[in-house]
Amino acid sequence: MKFKLLFGALPAFLTVFLAVRAASAAPSAAGESASGTNVIRQELVQAILGGGGQRQALLDKIADSGSGVAAGILSAWTMQEVYLYAAPDGSTIPVTLESQQDAAGTSRAIRIDDGGFLKDASGKELRFGQSDLNAAYTNIRLRRQIQQALDTLALSAADPQARRAAAVKLGYSQKPGYVPILERRLAKERDPAVKKAIHVAIATLQLGGPSAAVQMAAVNELAALKSVGSLDTLTRLAANANNNPQLENRVKAAINSIQEHIRWVQFYGTLFHGISVGSVLLVVALGLAITFGLMGVINMAHGEMIAVGAYTTYVIQNLFGSGFAFSITLPFSIGGKAIAFGLNLPGLNASGWFYQSYFLFAIPLSFLSAALAGLLLERAIIQFLYRRPLESLLATWGVSLALQQIFRMVFGANNVQVSSPNWLLGHFSLDDVSLDYNRVFVVAFAIVIVLGTWILLSKTPLGLLIRAVMQNRDMAGCMGVRTGRVNMLTFAFGSGLAGLAGAFLSQIGNVGPSLGQTYIVDSFMTVVVGGVGNIAGTVYSALGIGTADQVLQQLTGSPVTGKIVSLVAIILFLQWKPGGLFAMRSRSLD
Amino acid sequence: MRRSFVNTESIVVLAGAIFLIVVLPCLNAFTAPQSWLHVSDFTINLYGKYLCYAMLAISVDLLWGYTGLLSLGQALFFSLGGYMMGMYLMRMIGSLGQYREPIPDFLVFLGWSNLPAIWKPFNSFAFAMMMAVLLPGGLAAVFGFLAFRSRIRGVYFAILTQALTYAACLLFFRNSLLMGGNNGFTDFKFIVGYNLNLSATQRGLYICSAVALLFVYLLCKWMTSTKFGKIQRAIRDSETRVLFSGYSTAHFKLFVFVLASLIASLGGVLYVPQVGIINPSEMAPDHSLEAVVWVAVGGRGTLIGPILGAILVNGLKSWATRAYPDMWLLFLGALFIFVTLFMPSGIIGLPGQVRALKKKIQDRGRPAPPSDLTGAAPLPQPVPANSAAAPGRNASKPG
Amino acid sequence: MTSTPPHPEFILLLENVSKSFEGFKAISNLTFYMDAGELRVVIGPNGAGKSTMLDLITGRIRPDAGKIEFGKDTDLTTLSEPAINRLGIGRKFQTPAVYIDHTVFENIRLSLEGSRGLWNALFSRLTAQRRDRIYEILKTVSLDAKSGVKAGALSHGQKQWLEIGMLLAQNPRLLLVDEPAAGMTDEETHKTGELLLSLEGRHSILVIEHDMTFVRQIARKVTVLHQGSVLCEGSVDEVQNDERVREVYLGRKKKDKH
Repeated sequence: MKFKLLFGALPAFLTVFLAVRAASAAPSAAGESASGTNVIRQELVQAILGGGGQRQALLDKIADSGSGVAAGILSAWTMQEVYLYAAPDGSTIPVTLESQQDAAGTSRAIRIDDGGFLKDASGKELRFGQSDLNAAYTNIRLRRQIQQALDTLALSAADPQARRAAAVKLGYSQKPGYVPILERRLAKERDPAVKKAIHVAIATLQLGGPSAAVQMAAVNELAALKSVGSLDTLTRLAANANNNPQLENRVKAAINSIQEHIRWVQFYGTLFHGISVGSVLLVVALGLAITFGLMGVINMAHGEMIAVGAYTTYVIQNLFGSGFAFSITLPFSIGGKAIAFGLNLPGLNASGWFYQSYFLFAIPLSFLSAALAGLLLERAIIQFLYRRPLESLLATWGVSLALQQIFRMVFGANNVQVSSPNWLLGHFSLDDVSLDYNRVFVVAFAIVIVLGTWILLSKTPLGLLIRAVMQNRDMAGCMGVRTGRVNMLTFAFGSGLAGLAGAFLSQIGNVGPSLGQTYIVDSFMTVVVGGVGNIAGTVYSALGIGTADQVLQQLTGSPVTGKIVSLVAIILFLQWKPGGLFAMRSRSLD
Repeated sequence: MRRSFVNTESIVVLAGAIFLIVVLPCLNAFTAPQSWLHVSDFTINLYGKYLCYAMLAISVDLLWGYTGLLSLGQALFFSLGGYMMGMYLMRMIGSLGQYREPIPDFLVFLGWSNLPAIWKPFNSFAFAMMMAVLLPGGLAAVFGFLAFRSRIRGVYFAILTQALTYAACLLFFRNSLLMGGNNGFTDFKFIVGYNLNLSATQRGLYICSAVALLFVYLLCKWMTSTKFGKIQRAIRDSETRVLFSGYSTAHFKLFVFVLASLIASLGGVLYVPQVGIINPSEMAPDHSLEAVVWVAVGGRGTLIGPILGAILVNGLKSWATRAYPDMWLLFLGALFIFVTLFMPSGIIGLPGQVRALKKKIQDRGRPAPPSDLTGAAPLPQPVPANSAAAPGRNASKPG
Repeated sequence: MTSTPPHPEFILLLENVSKSFEGFKAISNLTFYMDAGELRVVIGPNGAGKSTMLDLITGRIRPDAGKIEFGKDTDLTTLSEPAINRLGIGRKFQTPAVYIDHTVFENIRLSLEGSRGLWNALFSRLTAQRRDRIYEILKTVSLDAKSGVKAGALSHGQKQWLEIGMLLAQNPRLLLVDEPAAGMTDEETHKTGELLLSLEGRHSILVIEHDMTFVRQIARKVTVLHQGSVLCEGSVDEVQNDERVREVYLGRKKKDKH
């Protein structure tokens, strides 16, 4: 087996993956201290109650703090939701109202100066309706000032993603007034991604002037930064820069270099998508590479083994949630009694991180449940058909039909909902190439199970037995190997891998009774192209087909045409290499 | 013994042919609807469908049972024939469609106002029939040439043919192919001037199907009895030996593959006007596999078997999908597993299996049974193991 | 290496032929000549490349390097198996390959020399003359009493004979016979030897064999293969007394058992 070739490339891949994780976990802005919050609250009170020039200075100060508390109160202020309470002692206390209202439409008031509830002298909490209090004063100019403060605040938010978004927003604002604010932030910023975004924002703002020299510098800056986001602004500038040919040329050059960058981003994006689609194929086909490639069993129910894994994930999810129940009534009766059976499992009603962790439990369990199903299938049917591969194809198709119907009866004919844990949602960017967590996960997942399979087959005593039996059942039998047991375990292992694939597919696609059918033709093709009996071949062919599929989709502009072209290409490919990529040169008779 | 078998088969075929071609249509046409002898239009239509399926089954059997080539793409050729007939029938609707336009409704829906060029010649019945020969035959010739040239056989052939029909199925789902997308063709009105809604027309189509089936049966019967047929079975049992006897097996297999595609196409041509619809789901991989079930149930390597299998399994399906709609697939799956494991020679092989079993039980009573060379093979493997063994798994002695 | 120099009337010529499977050299620089009408026995330990040599001659596999010619100068390295067979090279396999679902008679009929074309197969009828020829061949291999029996029901030895009969029916100029005596009783083996001897002269015969008693019975000239090339050539006695041959056979026997 040619694993060495493949795993030469692995460390590089892993390094990239780890580096990416490290970057996204870069240090965020320091958390807010209690005393800092208190100072800001006092400043907010002063800003609300005070007036004129003092107000602007205070707002600037608050804006630089990056305080989340301040952001909430400031936006409440612009929406006229900061109220003034005239205390019995004659002082004015600014408050906000809690969103939770009682039956009378009143709610508790939260003091802005200390964040506590407003109480009367006796310590009883006071409740107000919205019309009971006067709103704090605002006007258009003030609101604009507050808005600017809010934007600046966002720029110093704790979450780097939010800071980046704020910088991008300011960059598009076309208000050169933000340049100093951005520059101030830049001096403090440490996150490279945010830094870049701020650079881009400053340069984008400077495209508007004030002088041609500044514009020129900004264009150069954007070209150097390869800012995809400023392409539109640059295009507009190129159209309006007729009076300055030097600038115009420079802008055009910048546009070209950014477009070049976009092409690369698309290339790497397609490559990454291809690799992740290939990894899905690989995960799906690896089990088949064992049962079909090594054992020579055409298991048409392989797709249903995948579905077993996916449904196991669904059941585990429900057990962590509200529970799982089903009941079937058979459409006929015996002795006048309708036959019905069912199951009702209570759920853990978990929430938060515990609920999110259901998937970690689902992974091994989906392997086990599919392996068990495979074991039963092997014992009940396949063990009688090892010498009749075409018949095993037909019998397992029967199993496939029956299993699909059972899924329909237990889980319903429609797709079921499997929600992804939070840690599989979202994406991150690596030099403008967007990488989804679940796609990165599938690549890592594929690497892990290929490694696991490889270790099992080549480094363990069981692997040695498996290879011996697969090469020559009779001979291994003569040598005292219990071939029946090895067959059974190998088949169960292959099916278990299918179950793992199902657990994974439940995260990226629909889970329904015909889930397996979607993948069966593809996975057989993957194994055939790779060269039957050669697991390394399956790895290469899965990645190759996945990438080709993505590229063809891009070229033809339609997923279906891409698929048809790749199927036809595979048929033609087998003309050239009938044994697949890595044909096992067999010297046997037929 | 052999001669008597031929005679039994001829009698069965003759009786079956008379019943299907003469008796059933007469009972439909000339008895009163209340009579217990009456065969309803519905039944005639249903049987017409079964007989078309029987042709599909024979095409599967000619490849699988006789030549050892399991094709999981025969429904593709069936559908291609059906589509060619469908295109002609669509043209015969004329301006009677929903939109009252002179072109098929779905084309109007797609925004066409004139007939696309590929549709024009299908006004002619003869052209449509010519295409029903050329398209499936041509596709089978090209695919078969490529596959047999590179010695693709056994499970690889099965998987590749399945991929082929899958690709075609995806293609026909596309609207841009101008073949009606996922709705396909329906609402047919006339065939060569006859109104398809009249029971006489349906009866005529039924008789055509029965006669076509008889023709296909006789053709295959003749072919399998010639030296060609013997070479076919020799390829199935030991292709290497045939190669080393000087026969270019690729030519023989290609001929059978093309012939089988034409038989399937003929089935499809007659199927579409009787069923009144053709769409891409007809060529879904599952349909081809179902046809393999019919053959397995009836008994492969015979010609009566597939016909019997197609009629019985589809009859069962018609009944079960009405009586137990939820359980039908479960039932079909179980049937298939059972037949594969316990009835490798299908219904046709059942008497032989029973005889062998009886003999085995009798022999158990007697001491030291003499080895009988002429008797049937022992029960576990009554059907010859298929020549298409898994790759690299045969015990081979180096040297 | 002792090899006969090219003879004007050679029927088979292999010169410097090599073939390897995934790094394993099955045949290495093999040079081998056979005269027309000769009966040659090739022996050698397991893995010596005997069957691979037959595969190369019959077009089942292609050599990596070297020349393989038949008759005057027909290059065999580019022809397909059926084309090579039609030139007049018949092969009997190590495990008998017969059509188990056909009768013994049909087995011979399908092998009988004549057209191998598709249309001929469809439209030709069996002439009385050819029928007689079939029975004649069946008599030669002592299967005339079994002509109506399905080949699958024959005993192992009978299958071996049937395959030899199928070979005879092809009337080839060169017969390649791979271990004809495997699985036969002593009596059957002896009869097989006589059959092969009776063919000598009319056909050229290349026999691969393990059974030394059988080799003694039929052999005129023996070639010993070892590790894919010719170790030595000569009469049975010469070969059996050769030091290298003894070493190869006795030294390898144990290792072969793994």
